[in-house]
This record gives sequence, structure tokens and C-alpha cells, in this order.
Amino acid sequence: MRQAYLLCLLFIGCSSSFPGERTVEDDLGRTVVLPPTIERITTLAPSVTELAFAAGAGSKIVGVSTFDDYPPGIDTLPRFDMLPTDFEAIVALDPELVLASEQVNSLKDIDIFSSSGIPVYFVAVNTLPDVTRAIRALGELFGTTEAATRRAIQLEDSLAQLSALTASLSERPRTLFLIDDVTLYAFGQGSYIHDMIDLAGGHSITQTMTTRFPVLTDEFVLDARPEVIVGSFGLQYDATKLVSHHATWDIVPAVVSGRVYGLHPDPYLRPGPRLVSGAWALARILHPDTVIDP
Amino acid sequence: MNRWAIGLLVLAFFSVIISVSTGDEVSFSEALSVLWHHLTFGYGNAPDPIADRIVWRLRLPRALLALIVGGGLGIIGAAMQALVRNPLAEPYILGISSGATAGASLFYLGFLPPLISKAVSMPVAAFAGGLCAILIVYSVAGGRGHLSVTRLLLAGVAVASLMGALSSFITLSSPEPDKLRSVLFWLLGSLHLATWSTLIWPSIAVLIGLISLLVLARPLDGMLTGDESAHSLGVQVESIKRILIILASLVTGSIVAASGAIGFVGLIVPHAVRSVTGVTHRRVLPASFIAGAVFLLWADLVARAILPGAQLPVGIVTALCGVPFFLILLRRSNYGFG
Repeated sequence: MRQAYLLCLLFIGCSSSFPGERTVEDDLGRTVVLPPTIERITTLAPSVTELAFAAGAGSKIVGVSTFDDYPPGIDTLPRFDMLPTDFEAIVALDPELVLASEQVNSLKDIDIFSSSGIPVYFVAVNTLPDVTRAIRALGELFGTTEAATRRAIQLEDSLAQLSALTASLSERPRTLFLIDDVTLYAFGQGSYIHDMIDLAGGHSITQTMTTRFPVLTDEFVLDARPEVIVGSFGLQYDATKLVSHHATWDIVPAVVSGRVYGLHPDPYLRPGPRLVSGAWALARILHPDTVIDP
Repeated sequence: MNRWAIGLLVLAFFSVIISVSTGDEVSFSEALSVLWHHLTFGYGNAPDPIADRIVWRLRLPRALLALIVGGGLGIIGAAMQALVRNPLAEPYILGISSGATAGASLFYLGFLPPLISKAVSMPVAAFAGGLCAILIVYSVAGGRGHLSVTRLLLAGVAVASLMGALSSFITLSSPEPDKLRSVLFWLLGSLHLATWSTLIWPSIAVLIGLISLLVLARPLDGMLTGDESAHSLGVQVESIKRILIILASLVTGSIVAASGAIGFVGLIVPHAVRSVTGVTHRRVLPASFIAGAVFLLWADLVARAILPGAQLPVGIVTALCGVPFFLILLRRSNYGFG
């Protein structure tokens, strides 16, 4: 009896086609069925919150995760836990769409949302151009095309300005971007971080590594001789800590010339609109004489 | 010294040579010349500084740590199997590794303040956690003046679950979620933090363990026959049990602190060794030491080499390579325990 009921539900779910309903394809190539207009969104990761705000849909967000802290407009919003995902709290917010990040969220989560009748749209940002592409796509999704386009053009202009400063530079320091200073997590193949380093006028030494988040060996770094080491260790990072953890790096060019820098983590670890300001900050570190300010 | 023991030692020696000279960054001959330069106290031309650091300061301590950790896990595994007279026993059975893990997670994820530096505090926290777990287990099993093996095992399993749950709780409620990835890497067992200075403490602990266990080799043989017959053989069963537990927590705690919880070595190696040497501890212990050492060294070589420039936690490799080998061994030999 219960099974028959569930089967019924399934059929209703499949055949229901309300007027004005639209189908779109998300960044994972999944087909997502959406109501004609969307007024209530929850975002499952800080990066997609920032993208939604950039697309002009910030006012439609009705709840964010406990990890979210940007932009300031989210201060008053209800919070839900993401480790593990607090499905009840999210469903209770009654969103018409859940925005997820391909980097952070798991595909398994969508089963639970779709069984509650809530569509999930995945955003994937793996290159720098993906940022503005995602903003435009979200603008169309939420009917805020104008604001989204404006913001996208603004960001693209900023990237173009930076590119104009750095593209012709012949000296491109070999750069290592680290996520952790003890266990050497880095970005491997197919990450936006290499676009950022390239745009900032550097050469990323981990861009051909086959895994997505390789844990580097100390000897790899010794052998690759990075001229600049940057990490998402925070702006207050004491560069001598890196050598105290990796004593053999005393002859790495970046260490010898004192070019080890801690960066604010968010513009690098959250693939959203702030990647652009992250690229600028990186450029100021790599080419302090050429790149002054946007 | 039997022929197999010499064979294992030669194997260990060449394994170290292969381990320090394998990798994209330094050529085989360059690695050998670095070793030669140091072992002859500076004879010949000074090697390239990068090759020197890679071979002498990164790969060699790492290879030696693999030997010490693998060897330590091997002998403690053999001793634990004798202590509880159960072939399933391994160094981590008494909850030591779970306790150490919980202690390290507490520190690593920002619940405990770093006392001196991260590199020092984490092993200390791991050691304290392991000690805490074994004290609970011991006080439960050792009541009424008699150390019950059954209670020891049950309490060990229970405390391991408790500590495991504690670690998970700590991990999920961490104020610094960014560090989850790193703690995970360490928890899975890895030798990537090896330096000459991190070798000191595990070396001392494992050496104490090896010598003490060799001294106790005959009583250990007696223990395998059961408490009462061991007693009738003149073995001080109760005090031997206590010594074994203290040794296990000392060695295992220091190993977990240095390299995380590397599974399966302590379980598999003594069994594999017994199928060659028989059950006499005078042979099982040294053979388990060398076999465990060589096994972990090769496992770490795979962990280093499988992804160019990057590494895997060696604990994954020991399970992936060790378990099938162990199952084949179980199937092929008419292996008996005790």
C-alpha cells in the first residue's frame, strides 16, 4: 500500500507540468526544472552566496550556511549547519531553489532535496571566466539579468585592466600557491587558481599535477624552485613559520629572497566574484612595481 | 643468526637504498653520491644542495621512520597477540591509537592551545590521548589484583569506540574546519612529517620495546600456552602482562604521534612471519621487526611514487597491498596460531 502511494507520488512528480515551468541545465549538465519565478533561495556554500549576490539576487536568499560571512547583507539571515547538511533546517526555510557548489557539495544531497520537491542547481567555477559566466547564468535564472550583466561587465573590465598590465611582462615568477603550510595541500590540474596566477603575471608550478588537490612532497617544492610562495594562511602569517615546518626549504628561491606571503583565504578558496580582487592582490605581490592599484 | 634473518637484513638495506634514490627529482647516481658523501663524512665533491636536501634530509629520515614505525608495529603486534592469545590482536587493539587520534584531533582542530609549537604539541597531545585510553582500559581490566585478558579486550574495543566517537565529534564541531583536510591526512597514517629530529622519540621507544621484548621472548612463548600452564612453567604472568601493556602504549603512542594510525602492519606482519619462522618468539620478534620495517618502507615508496610530486597517506597503501597479501597467505598455508 505504502509502495503504491510512493509510486503515485513519483508519477505525479514526473508528469506534473505547471504552466510557465522551465527547464534549465546546470553546470554539471543536470536538467533542473524550475518554477517560472524564483523568490526564495538557499545557498549551500559561501562561494555560491557571493555569486548570487553578484547576480543581483541577494535579496532572494532566505538562509545561508554557518560558514557564510560575506557579503555583510547576510548578517540577519537564518543559518543552517553544513557539516553535515542540516536538511530539516533548509527545507523549513521553504526555498524554491537550492544553489549548490560543485566544489563543496555532494551530489548525494540532491536526492534528499528532490524528494522534498526542491530543485537543486549546481554551480561550478573552475576557471576565471567561469565567474562571470556563472553570474550571468544566475541572473537569467532569477530574472535579475540587468544587475547580473552590470556586475559581470564590471568584473570583466577589472580583469581586462589587470591583463593589460601583466600580459606583456616577460618576467613571470614561478609561483607556488599553498592551501596549508604543514600538510602541503595545493591546487592541481583544472583549477581557477592557475588562471589567477597567470593573470597576475606569474607561472603556477602545480598546474600540471594530475590530482585536483595534491598533497605535495617537500622534495617536489625543492626541485621546482618556486620564486614566490603564497598561501591562504591569512594576512598576518609569519613567513618564518613555513621554513620552521619545512627546514630543507632554506634554499628555495622564494625563501631566500623573502618572497613568502600569507593571503586572505576567502578570495582564493571561495570560487566567486572575489577571485577578481584576489588576482589583483596576487599581482601586487608578484609585480609590486608594475601593478599599483585598480 | 639464521639465514632468513640475514636475508631480511640485506633486503632492508637495499630497500633503503632504493627508497632514497626513487623519485623524479633526483637521479639514482646522484642519490648514491649524496649518500656516499655523507657516509664517508664529506669525502669527494660536495653534492648539489637540492639533491643533498632531498636525499639526506627528506628521503632518508622518512625511510628510517618507515623502518622504525613498521618494525615497532611488527613487534608490538606479535607481543599483543601473545598477550591476549588471540590472532586478531594488533598494536591498536587496546584503544591506544584511538586515544592518540582523539588527543591529536583536539589539539589540531584548535580546541587545545599550542604549547610550544605545532610540531611539538601534536605528538604530545597524541601521546597523552593514547596514555589516557590505556589507563582507562587498564583500570577496568586490572581490578581485583588480576589482569583479565577478556576484560582487557572488551574494554579495549569499548574505549576505542569511545575515542573514535570523540574524534568524530571533535572533527565535526571544529572551530577551524579548514584544517579538516590536514588532520584527515595525518589520521590515515602518513610519514610525510619525518625529519631527523622527529626520528628521535620513536627510535628510543621502539628500541626499548625491541630489547625488552627480546628479553621476554621465553615468557612470551609460555604465555601462548595459557595463563595456568605459563604459570606452571615459572612465568610471572601478571607482571609480564603489565609490562607488555606499558611497552605497547609507549611504542604505539610514540608511533601514532609520529605518523598517525597506520593500520594492518601490526596485524599482518607477525602472522606472515610465523608462517616462515614458527611460533618461537626468539625468532618471531626480530623477524617481525625487520619484516614490518621493510613492508612499511615499500608501502611508503608506493605512497610517494604513485602520484608524481604528490603523496598519499601510507595507511591507505598498507591496507590496499597488505590485506590481499595476507588473505592469500591465509589461504595457501596451513597456518596455525600458538
